[in-house]
Amino acid sequence: MKMKRIMALVMASIMGASLLTACGGSGGSTETTTAAAAAAGSEKDIQPTTITFWHGMNNKQEQSLTELTEKFNAENEYGITVELVNQGSYSDLQTKLMANAAADTLPDIAQAYNNYFTDYVDKVVALDDFVKNDYPDWDDILESYRTENSEYGKITGVPFNKSTYLFFYNKTMFDELGLEAPKTWDDLQHIGEVILEKKGLAAIGYDSMCDMLEAALRQHGEQYVDETGALFNTDGGLETLEFIMNMYNSGYARLVGEDNYFSDSLSNGMIGGYVGSSTGVSYISTDIEGKEFELGVCPVVGDKTNAAYNAGTNIVMFAKDANNQKAAWEYMKFMTSKESTIKWAMDTGYLPIRTSAYESDEYKAFMEGDITAQAAYEQAPYGFVSKASFTGSNEIRNVVSTTLNELITDKADAQTALDTLVAAVNDVLK
Amino acid sequence: MNRRSFKGYAYLAPVLVIMLVFTAYPLVKAIFMSFCENYSIINGSYKGINLENYKDLFDDKLFIRALGNTTLYVAFVVPLSVVISLIIANLLNSHIKFQGLFQTLYFLPYVTSVIAIGVVWRWIMNSNYGLLNYILGFFGIGPIGWLSDPKYSMTSLIIFAVWKSLAFNIMIFLAALQGISPDLYAAARVDSTPRLRVFFKITVPAMMPIIAYAFIMGIINAFKVYNEVFSLFNSKAGPVNNEAITIVYYIYDQFYNNYKYGIAAAGSVVLFLLIMLFTMIQRLPGRIKAKKEAAQK
Amino acid sequence: MKSTKPSAIIADIVKYVVLIAGALFTLLPFVWMVLSSLKSANEIVQIPPTMIPRKFMFSNYAEAWQEAPFPRYFLNTVFIATVTTVGVLLTSILSAFAFSRLDFPGKKIIFSLFMATLMIPGEMLLITNFITITKLKWIDTYKAMIVPWLANVFYTYLLTQFFSSVPEALYLAAKVDKCSDLKFLFKIMVPMNKNAITTVAILSFIGSWNSFLWPLLVTNSTNMRVLSHGLVRFQSEAGTKYQLVMAASCILVVPIIIVYLFLRKYILEGMSYTGVKG
Repeated sequence: MKMKRIMALVMASIMGASLLTACGGSGGSTETTTAAAAAAGSEKDIQPTTITFWHGMNNKQEQSLTELTEKFNAENEYGITVELVNQGSYSDLQTKLMANAAADTLPDIAQAYNNYFTDYVDKVVALDDFVKNDYPDWDDILESYRTENSEYGKITGVPFNKSTYLFFYNKTMFDELGLEAPKTWDDLQHIGEVILEKKGLAAIGYDSMCDMLEAALRQHGEQYVDETGALFNTDGGLETLEFIMNMYNSGYARLVGEDNYFSDSLSNGMIGGYVGSSTGVSYISTDIEGKEFELGVCPVVGDKTNAAYNAGTNIVMFAKDANNQKAAWEYMKFMTSKESTIKWAMDTGYLPIRTSAYESDEYKAFMEGDITAQAAYEQAPYGFVSKASFTGSNEIRNVVSTTLNELITDKADAQTALDTLVAAVNDVLK
Repeated sequence: MNRRSFKGYAYLAPVLVIMLVFTAYPLVKAIFMSFCENYSIINGSYKGINLENYKDLFDDKLFIRALGNTTLYVAFVVPLSVVISLIIANLLNSHIKFQGLFQTLYFLPYVTSVIAIGVVWRWIMNSNYGLLNYILGFFGIGPIGWLSDPKYSMTSLIIFAVWKSLAFNIMIFLAALQGISPDLYAAARVDSTPRLRVFFKITVPAMMPIIAYAFIMGIINAFKVYNEVFSLFNSKAGPVNNEAITIVYYIYDQFYNNYKYGIAAAGSVVLFLLIMLFTMIQRLPGRIKAKKEAAQK
Repeated sequence: MKSTKPSAIIADIVKYVVLIAGALFTLLPFVWMVLSSLKSANEIVQIPPTMIPRKFMFSNYAEAWQEAPFPRYFLNTVFIATVTTVGVLLTSILSAFAFSRLDFPGKKIIFSLFMATLMIPGEMLLITNFITITKLKWIDTYKAMIVPWLANVFYTYLLTQFFSSVPEALYLAAKVDKCSDLKFLFKIMVPMNKNAITTVAILSFIGSWNSFLWPLLVTNSTNMRVLSHGLVRFQSEAGTKYQLVMAASCILVVPIIIVYLFLRKYILEGMSYTGVKG
């Protein structure tokens, strides 16, 4: 026992020491950043270097990313080489980043959701000075992405592979029943009534339950959750849950159950439509033998206001070396440039991150033939992401989803649902 | 030559060194972490050394549920799996045609993709068109929502897990059976002793060390169940709200999704103690028997 | 040796029925994996699922194969799995011998500690071990993927159990003949437990073959990655291309089956029992 205690103490002191040096290191480099970025004006002093970029992109996405990166490597005037490292799926990437944050061996840049680094945001390089001094058109980037990347009180990244949640529906079924794409909560309810009556099916499902709740609250002019707890214990919150629970309790909406994914349910004619990520469209099959249908896509409905949840990661910087920081910034500028984001969006089905890109002739022509891109563009001004910059944010996502599942399974009334959800959220943060 | 010497350590040295670095050290560190309030894996900082994590752990209804589920799981999966695989291994080792083919077939699940196994079992247990309900339908039972009704979550998980653990047990039992000296059976054959009697009087005692191994390893592995839950419920811990959550699932979630490293560590220590307790209880009959035998000699 | 009593015939029938029914049930996922690998993207999401593909899409294999540098992954995996298996066999045989035949101070305590290490979930040890590997500067090396797995309590314990079953008389006789411990171990103990050792070899090889998270953690370059990493290439945040995952899984499984059949043949050849009376 004594031995263990001594070992523990030794370890604690070692780790304490490494903490101090880590903090000192990143603090110092942030200062260099400021100086370097301030000096950067017409002429930049960047030495040739190699930048490591960890990502979780596969298939055609990885292919497009590679093409863009090769272009940057060939064309940049500083001799910067960006090396792409595939780290598997998102959850693998998240685990790898956590492990490397603990070992203090993070890459120069990486793809990340904001909730990956809640615990090590001090290792993320603040990009404020870079943006201020060396990014001519920051305002051209969609507002929701700028907000998302500033939620920690500093600019932590630049938007990269962005998607949004849209309503995918069986247009053939809608046409047959004389239904149109929904625009309001009332439309949604009407569609639910008709499809249930005529087809015996639910009209709608949601891939992400916690995001569904937050979007509904925002659409109804309410707030969701912050570091102090649940903010929806209000009359408006109750009204929102009345709407949600009524949809489910009446059978207009349903949980995914044993179908695995709503895209499968839609493909098999087992549901009228569902709200899912715009990148998921490639997983909808419209021509299964005997079940062929035409796919419809529209923005998610609004109520008092519009609100649509975004998904997708940003590129964040961990580089400690001042020169690498500057080099990485060149790459981040390149990746978020109008040309790059248009190519990226057209190659992969992710969304452009700039207003000017949406309005370019090239992308407009592309949208003509892509109903998903059109719908995404329509709701682009209303995008939001769930706040991730406080401890417990990730846990709340899980708790809200599972609690909602349970409430819906139990056919709870709105008041019970509200009380249970508020308690569940506050329980995480207490 | 004196056998009671330090020579044993020379044989153990490679294993000891590796285990010291890659198992003992992280284990001690995990135990330490479990006593650190608000421990951060990122920089090793913590608020204080106390029992907060354990308090939070036992205040968490989800952990209590995980404890109950895991214990239930162990209690059913281990004995069922050992008994069934013992029977199958014996059949596979008896004089049958196509012995090699059969043995290979029973080995295949062990190498089948985990994803495929999950997909297939979700199909078998589907409430609308699943194979299981189809078969039960002949007996006028069902349809049962194996994967959709929270009531059946643990039953489904146990059935799935027994299936999944068979291949491993069959393999080691076969190895043990093939190592039993035919001479042992020769006497029985001369007496034309009934097969069942041969099984219990000769086969089982000869295999006892391996059966004990299967039990102990079964208990240890069953207590650490995680992948089975994940693949059966399609990356969740149950159909609605964590009905089939297990201790390691809980630990994993706390560590990698909720970033509560200290609580995860405390959960691991509790699991550690629990397994220790169970393996000790399990070995008790063996010890008593050994003592009796020693006394008889 | 066959008896012709009616009861024996019934017993035989029951035996085959049980074995065949069990085999079908056991085999289902494997068959499913193979059949799914040949389905089209449409058919794979069909509810309820079809068993036999309407059209056999052999192109899935070509598509899956192109998605990742599989030949390189294959070489890495074979190398790592082989070295790990040989290494772990050696260390496990040595330590199993120590536990089953030698007497030394602290034996019981060490054995208990060995067992205790199994009782903590591996997920808890991952990050600490990763930091150790970083400090050793082993990132992106084969060492990182092999060395930590060279000690395995599961296998040590299994072999200990098998070695304990070998009659003590044999060991004493060897001692009388002035046979050294090492010689006894490798000339008598190991051949006598061929089945068990081969089983451990198979288990270790498969374990190494399928390992995913640890090799991913300790490598960054594509050249060091292993086969299982190829499988996640078909997954994205929005969904999984199951038909390609299944095709890749089928490719992955072939070498293991070959290794198994090879080793099993070896077991059967050595079946003539070499032991002594109990």
